[in-house]
Amino acid sequence: MSPALFSLIDARDKFTAATINALEAGNCKPLTNVFSHLPGNETEKKSTLDQTLRAVLEGQIVKHVDVGDHLSLIYISIGGVTEGICSATTPFVLLGDVLDCLPLDQCDGIFSFVEENVSTWKSNSFYSAGKNYLLRMCNDLLRRLSKSQNTVFCGRIQLFLARLFPLSEKSGLNLQSQFNLDNITVFNKNEQESTLGQQSTEVKEDGMEVEEGEMGDEDTPAPCSIPIDYNLYRKFWTLQDYFRNPVQCYEKFSWMTFVKYSDETLAVFKSYKLDDTQASKRKLEEMQTAGGEHVYFAKFLTSEKLMDLQLSDSNFRRHILLQYLILFQYLRGQVKFKSSSCVLNDDQTSWMDDTTKVVYQLLREIPPDGDRFASMVEHILNTEENWNSWKNEGCPSFVKERPAEPKPTRPSRKRPAPEDFLGKGPDRKLLMGNDELTRLWNLNPDNMEACKSDSREFMPSLEDFFEEAIEQADPANMVEDEYKVVRNSNYGWRALRLLSRRSPHFFQPTNQQFKSLADYLENMVIKLAKELPKDIPSEEIKTGEEEDENGDNLLKESNDSPSIQSKPVTNSQMDEVAAKLGGQWRTLADHLEMKEAEIREIEADGEDVDLQAKMLLVAWQDREGPQASVESLASALRSAGFGSIANSLSQS
Amino acid sequence: MNNNKSGCIFICVCFYFLKSYALTNRRLVLLHMSVFSQTFSPCGRFLAAGNNYGEIAVFSLSAALSPDATGMSQKPILTFAAHEGPVFSLISTDTHLLSAGNGEISAWSWAELTKRVSNEIVNQLSDNSLIVGGGDNNIHIMDMETGTFKSVLQGHKDYIHCLSFREREGELLSGGEDGAVRIWDARTGQTVHCIEVFKYEECTRPQFGKWIGCLTTDSDWMLCGGGPALSLWHLRSMSPTSVFSLAGCQREAVFYQDLILTVGEGPYVSHCVPGGTVKAQIPSSSPSLNTLTLNLNSNEHRVMTTAGSSDQIDVFTNFSYRAFSLSF
Repeated sequence: MSPALFSLIDARDKFTAATINALEAGNCKPLTNVFSHLPGNETEKKSTLDQTLRAVLEGQIVKHVDVGDHLSLIYISIGGVTEGICSATTPFVLLGDVLDCLPLDQCDGIFSFVEENVSTWKSNSFYSAGKNYLLRMCNDLLRRLSKSQNTVFCGRIQLFLARLFPLSEKSGLNLQSQFNLDNITVFNKNEQESTLGQQSTEVKEDGMEVEEGEMGDEDTPAPCSIPIDYNLYRKFWTLQDYFRNPVQCYEKFSWMTFVKYSDETLAVFKSYKLDDTQASKRKLEEMQTAGGEHVYFAKFLTSEKLMDLQLSDSNFRRHILLQYLILFQYLRGQVKFKSSSCVLNDDQTSWMDDTTKVVYQLLREIPPDGDRFASMVEHILNTEENWNSWKNEGCPSFVKERPAEPKPTRPSRKRPAPEDFLGKGPDRKLLMGNDELTRLWNLNPDNMEACKSDSREFMPSLEDFFEEAIEQADPANMVEDEYKVVRNSNYGWRALRLLSRRSPHFFQPTNQQFKSLADYLENMVIKLAKELPKDIPSEEIKTGEEEDENGDNLLKESNDSPSIQSKPVTNSQMDEVAAKLGGQWRTLADHLEMKEAEIREIEADGEDVDLQAKMLLVAWQDREGPQASVESLASALRSAGFGSIANSLSQS
Repeated sequence: MNNNKSGCIFICVCFYFLKSYALTNRRLVLLHMSVFSQTFSPCGRFLAAGNNYGEIAVFSLSAALSPDATGMSQKPILTFAAHEGPVFSLISTDTHLLSAGNGEISAWSWAELTKRVSNEIVNQLSDNSLIVGGGDNNIHIMDMETGTFKSVLQGHKDYIHCLSFREREGELLSGGEDGAVRIWDARTGQTVHCIEVFKYEECTRPQFGKWIGCLTTDSDWMLCGGGPALSLWHLRSMSPTSVFSLAGCQREAVFYQDLILTVGEGPYVSHCVPGGTVKAQIPSSSPSLNTLTLNLNSNEHRVMTTAGSSDQIDVFTNFSYRAFSLSF
């Protein structure tokens, strides 16, 4: 039976009906059934189902249904993904749609659903498809919320994001360690702006109660009810600016102001000791009567009238002292993103050390539980160092990579594999049939490598080539123009080619007009002469060295670094091995890939087994040539079962 | 009723200051200056302080406490020579500033003193008597209006340091060099009680002597100290209820709400609770303090000021730390 054609409209209608059934049933069985019965290929059906689900959701939103109904639709879509009938991004798209369309109080319910299913989102099938959608959705929500009014909701969203993404997710990190420079603390710097001056004039109008001698005083500002220390007020709140932007501390003048104000403030803290019994008891009673309602202020309240109360509040003091400690840790610490001008001199460092001690002492004195608090703070700041170094390394992931599996060693073969004599196996020897040819060819079997060797570098260095020209350009030498080598057109052509490969001066645009190539070259030569080191006398020594190097390069093997194992086997080593082998040399012969003819030859030669063993080894060495290394002999011994001999050989 | 400290000479301390009185170098003058007395104006906006050179300086508190105070606001608005010898005592009535020097008491009109600064209209008269404790071991009561002495209270065996008044009972308390605190009935002039503080074991400090340097009363309670340790007495039972362990001799003590504030030897103001513990010691700028006053006349200028053996007068807006200092 030929498959029926896929009809979009037909499929959509069927899916819509199925969805409604599924909603009522509470699972996605109806959808699965319809899916399997529809004609068409998977992709078409999936995308149709996606579209259908979105349309159904749209219908729900327009009808203002209950939040629970939206959630059941999304739940069905999740089931659909698990069954494989709709694409993995669908639940996220649906969530995004519904959150965009609902008011904030209903979003709360939807978001709880998202939170509860975080394990689903993290599972493999959903994570990669949905993480960007989820991130965008959460960011959109955060933009709609106010941090100071919907604090809890904002917090939930942040926590959800923290659980969803791994710790090293780059979009969630402050990679450059930047400060929130917008967090400005506003206070009354200017006297005229002081709100105290706007006290109501009721006090003055109570004629009876005007204090004696006060009548007629218009110049003094309207009185407030308590005396205020403006000096301390201003200095205290100015400090907050340094905490907001610590880089200021590296400037000399700002630092001096900071030190002065800090000393004054800390002196006040020192002299104004907090009272244990009064403060803590009152706070406990307050907390209990208020039913645990904790009001959260994102910013400091800086009215002048509050200054006295704030000074006598232990939590407030802890905030300020903690700010100091965090600031000092930043100033002292190694942060990759600080510019190089951000260093402290010795005076500043010693002031910081002294003040840190004072701060810790003050923290310990603040009731209740001052000691415990101070030790906790110290511990947390120490841990912070680890995070700092993590950031300096660019926030690497914490997931340990499985180390790569070591390549399994090739079992040794009895017969030489075709790769061996074709020069591709690990031994890499190309047998040309003739020993001399073999030797020549195997000097460097790989043609590409041979071409890259240094000896084939025929382009001279700038110094060498232009040496003569530089010498001639020196006016002290008084070489006449027509004899200069730069006039030689052959030389000039080669000079240009060399300059284009090696010198940046060639590419620098210049306004000078050169009448001829020789003039241009002279100019270049003079420039080069200034740059190049003047070691012309050592020219002879240089050429001598170069010839030697050429010879060496040709004979170099592919593995340069001589390790103990790839040294050639010495005679004494062979004697030792032969002595140990004794009559068992035949087993080794197999592993050394000796031909039958050779083995028979050795057997026929003599009765002495030691001698035969020695002859075996010699024959092997002859055949291998430079590849008769300790390593290969040891591996052959091991595979033959002579592990102890192999070990003693390696160690000798 | 008013209090007054005797204008007599504290011999052990004074000769040094008299010697330096002749020097004209201002810095040296300031170095050797000691402030012995302070008082606030009746409106509470001015502070008058008297020093060992016989000068009285008037400071404007409203200028010093305002938001746009500068260094100049911490200097006196007026300084004048009041006496030849040190000004040991200053008292403010509703209209006048009374100062006591060597054997003489002068009265200055607040209106005249401050008229350069503002138009103050002082129009309340009072019928106070002035109680003067003298170096002649007697207490004299003077009528302010007529200027004549009304009566003399005798009984102390040595000169008198401090006086205090119990308004409810109409009794007068006096403390003197002889170590006795005497309670007098103001109308009859008879000694009602005599407490010899140094005879009580809890309070006595023979190494410092027996003189009573400070005395203040809160109707039911009395604080006294000096040579003996500062102690809180219950006046009905006439017994000490708590003794404060403060090093050094206390020269002035006041009650304030539920606290006791006291100054003396040592560069700090001590806050004590009536239970007997010293709650806090707030550092101040003079090495030792002679006088402490609270400005209860004005709410917005409600500060505490202390002064002693330097030219600085410390002002405390919040009684727990020194806000700034006025200086002569």
